[in-house]
Amino acid sequence: MGPVIRLPGQWSRREEREYDGQVMGRDDESRRAALGREALAHADTLFNLARYLTGNAADAEDLVQETYAHALDAAHQFTPGTNLKAWLFRILRNAFISSYRRQRHNPTIGGLDTVDPTAQGAAPEQWLRDDLELERLRKIVGEEIEQALMTLSEDARTVILLDLEGLTEVEVAQVVGCAVGTVKSRLARARAALRLLLRDYAR
Amino acid sequence: MNCQDVRPRLLDFGRGHLGAEARAEVRAHLDGCAACAAEETAERALSEALEERLPRYKAPVGLKRRLAREWTGAAPAPPWWRRWARPLVPTFALAAALLIGLPLYYQHQWSGSRDGAPMITEAVNDHLRVLSSQHPLDIESGGMHQVKPWFEGRLDFAPVVPFVGDADFPLQGGAVGYFVDRRAAVFVFRRRLHVISLFVFRAEGLPWPSHRGERLGRSEAWPTSSRGFNVILWRSGELGYALVSDVDRQELGQLAVKLAPA
Repeated sequence: MGPVIRLPGQWSRREEREYDGQVMGRDDESRRAALGREALAHADTLFNLARYLTGNAADAEDLVQETYAHALDAAHQFTPGTNLKAWLFRILRNAFISSYRRQRHNPTIGGLDTVDPTAQGAAPEQWLRDDLELERLRKIVGEEIEQALMTLSEDARTVILLDLEGLTEVEVAQVVGCAVGTVKSRLARARAALRLLLRDYAR
Repeated sequence: MNCQDVRPRLLDFGRGHLGAEARAEVRAHLDGCAACAAEETAERALSEALEERLPRYKAPVGLKRRLAREWTGAAPAPPWWRRWARPLVPTFALAAALLIGLPLYYQHQWSGSRDGAPMITEAVNDHLRVLSSQHPLDIESGGMHQVKPWFEGRLDFAPVVPFVGDADFPLQGGAVGYFVDRRAAVFVFRRRLHVISLFVFRAEGLPWPSHRGERLGRSEAWPTSSRGFNVILWRSGELGYALVSDVDRQELGQLAVKLAPA
């Protein structure tokens, strides 16, 4: 004989408290656990971003671990209903900036907001208007795209990757801590720079 | 619109983010301007290269295990902890390890003896997450022939689900989720207005019930209920299944019979 099925209205107080804790996020501890389980689902995505930021697997692993440690400490600051992935990205990026960035030399292609966009934006058109070159872009392999992406500045790489993850411009702006308008122009510049680089690979 | 107006809008245009009016204007310009049309094609080609060919790196399994342990196991250090002088840290660490470790150890022993309880709790929690999520489905169903291939490359196993949905239990869609420490394929079925979640995951290394279950096709199944939800666990070969819903036990059983290999 199986247990009797009860509707939520017939739950005991303890069950209701448990439910509230796990689902509604009222109880701190179980809220943290629930958030943790959800956050773990983004481990691959975070690792991918970390891998492209740090450029190697070992640092990426450390960075992801650090990100989750920070997120665990700051779990109470997460607003339920907002984009958890974006929140984690922001923590990851901040951790990256404070721990890794200063150790490394940064290339600046496509990264400085002061770079004249027309200088970089004009060149791709000329070759991409050429069908043959377009064909090359279509055939370029993953490793070449990766290599080109890695030569971009971290800022440029970050907006391209966040955009690729499906974050909205507002969310990207929150992750990288800049104005929404800046995201738009930064993304346009980063893509133009990437196309310019890919043209060289295609030759 | 002229070229200068159109260029910054090409990305949004390609992604369908423009309003109807702006979209029509951009479309009209592209029809008459070869340079902008070529630029639009190139932007699309770049998006396609990034989305489909840029390598995606997956987190190593060891890292995921460590993270899962940290997040679901240990309680966070209370703030006063950090104010203690450095020399005291090892002492407190030892004390904390004993204080946290021993109850966890006994709890583990105890929950193990409750026979499958952690898996049932997990299944119900996962189902609640499906219910409370605003966008529970990564792929809306166009039928199982669309949902199943969608999992390719997103999981480290192929979910075996012989039932494709019917009028009684239509398939709503699927998503990738987590079951305890591993990835799971989530299939969402409906029964009238009730939501039914099916989680498919690798079966090994989980605290399966040790008592004899009931026969379900060729599998052994453990039907139970927890917090007002009915849960049926079963395993078939290397895969484990958890079916959860608030529909009554008999109806959930009917679906389980369809889902388990005969």
